Amino acid sequence: MTAVAGDRDGLIVLDHGAGGGMSRELVVDLIATGLGEVYVGEWQDSTLLAVEPGTIALTTDSFVVDPPFFGGGDIGKLAVTGTVNDLAVCGARPLYLTLAMIIEEGFPLADLATIVASVRACAEEAGVRIAAGDTKVVRKGEADRIFLNTAGIGVLDRPARPDSRAIVPGDQLIVTGYLGDHSIHLLSLRAGLGFESRVPSDCAVLSGVIGELLDAFGPDVHAMRDITRGGLGTVLNEFAADCGYGLHIDGGALPVRPETAMAADMLGVDVLYLANEGNLCLAVAPRAAAGVVDLLRRHRYTAQARVVGTVVTGGGVTGGGVLMDLPGGGRRDVELLYGAQLPRLC
Amino acid sequence: MDAKYAVITNDLQVAAATVDPQRQAAVDAFMPRQISFLEHMRRLGVPVIHMQLVVGEDDPRNEGTPDELRFTAGSAGVRVLPAVLGPGDRVVPKPKDSAFFDTPLHDILRELGVNVVIITGMQAQICVQTSAADAHFRGYAVLVPSDCVVSTRADDVDRALQWLAGYCATVLTGEQIVRFVENGGRLVVKDAS
Repeated sequence: MTAVAGDRDGLIVLDHGAGGGMSRELVVDLIATGLGEVYVGEWQDSTLLAVEPGTIALTTDSFVVDPPFFGGGDIGKLAVTGTVNDLAVCGARPLYLTLAMIIEEGFPLADLATIVASVRACAEEAGVRIAAGDTKVVRKGEADRIFLNTAGIGVLDRPARPDSRAIVPGDQLIVTGYLGDHSIHLLSLRAGLGFESRVPSDCAVLSGVIGELLDAFGPDVHAMRDITRGGLGTVLNEFAADCGYGLHIDGGALPVRPETAMAADMLGVDVLYLANEGNLCLAVAPRAAAGVVDLLRRHRYTAQARVVGTVVTGGGVTGGGVLMDLPGGGRRDVELLYGAQLPRLC
Repeated sequence: MDAKYAVITNDLQVAAATVDPQRQAAVDAFMPRQISFLEHMRRLGVPVIHMQLVVGEDDPRNEGTPDELRFTAGSAGVRVLPAVLGPGDRVVPKPKDSAFFDTPLHDILRELGVNVVIITGMQAQICVQTSAADAHFRGYAVLVPSDCVVSTRADDVDRALQWLAGYCATVLTGEQIVRFVENGGRLVVKDAS
């Protein structure tokens, strides 16, 4: 339980965001203390960071997941993994994050402490530090419980980095985890559909395994994206558009849990467009594909890694398009999704 | 192990049955079959458990909704339809779609030694489907009487029954299930993979 004073029920009040003593208590005693050695902010208007000369990667993301606590994680874990993974798939070594919070009046201080603990654990796992932060409290109804934003800085200190414009015919397309688990878990949790205990969120820090992969196979990893909003279907279309070649997918090879397929079928949603939060799609030179899969399978977060398709010219696949062989026979175009299938998953 | 059955009904409540004229008509047509099925089951000693959707006062669906169409505790709408209630039946509140989500149903069934659940009620494509899937995940064999589930639209019932038969349930008519239980039929848990 937190030692920070709230209202009599231990809830956030507007004074926690007013910049006075209660704000300081919240920021120093709950958030900074909760982050421990992961927090390296200097309590100034800016934090000064020494970064080696060269190229940095910079990214930012906001997190509004509903509900903020779910099986396999919470909004704090998601805010770190989302940004760290975005840096890592670009070939960057994640170093620093910012952490901004918008908290609704009435949010339990104990829940906030749990979220801060998740941020800390996840940052420790990823080897990143929280270098700056911000906290705002808004009136009841002006936000839904808690929203987070993280920005991340990483350094590009490897000779080669993935770039989807480098994809060439013959490249093998690899997916590292079960498709759609994060979406199905959250949808089930919201409506009480009964799938939530069978399909956990796959939210995970992937920078460790990505670092190992790039150290071992760097120049042969031509492209890499984490599969989040828009799902695998979106990533494949982005790859195809960037390289201009066709992607030929073996639908029978896609990793999908039976329960996820079952839920997607019931809800009338396409697994190809469901979100993950700990799943990668890679395009890899054919000579390295077996080694890449082998390395990925030895890691707990990417144990389902497998080749699911090939980059092609011709063969009935339009350049810049994605064609999938269906398990039961026949083929379908995998088109870019317009609009959202599902709201507020991250 | 011998089969030990329980019938689960979903959302057979005033608010759900009367939400609009189309639903009311579908429920009116379904009720005689459901009542007859439940009577048969009770005679065979099969316990009947009514899952009653109860939502909080702060549920956004309450806004502007008359009392007879609300699912809040104590409202006119939350009541289980009197025609389906029988002596010895249990009524168990539930907060969400699946009959098992955040309810004591699994404990009640274990206490009764139940290993086969018969899922009925409305709507077929929501609470019946999710309750059947959840029961399947928890290791129960699942029976669904095709004529004792209801939705506003008949298409939704057809699609739901197809899905249930494909993934997690044995779908028979109510009459077939009565005969099945009378004859001590055995069921195996379906393999969803």
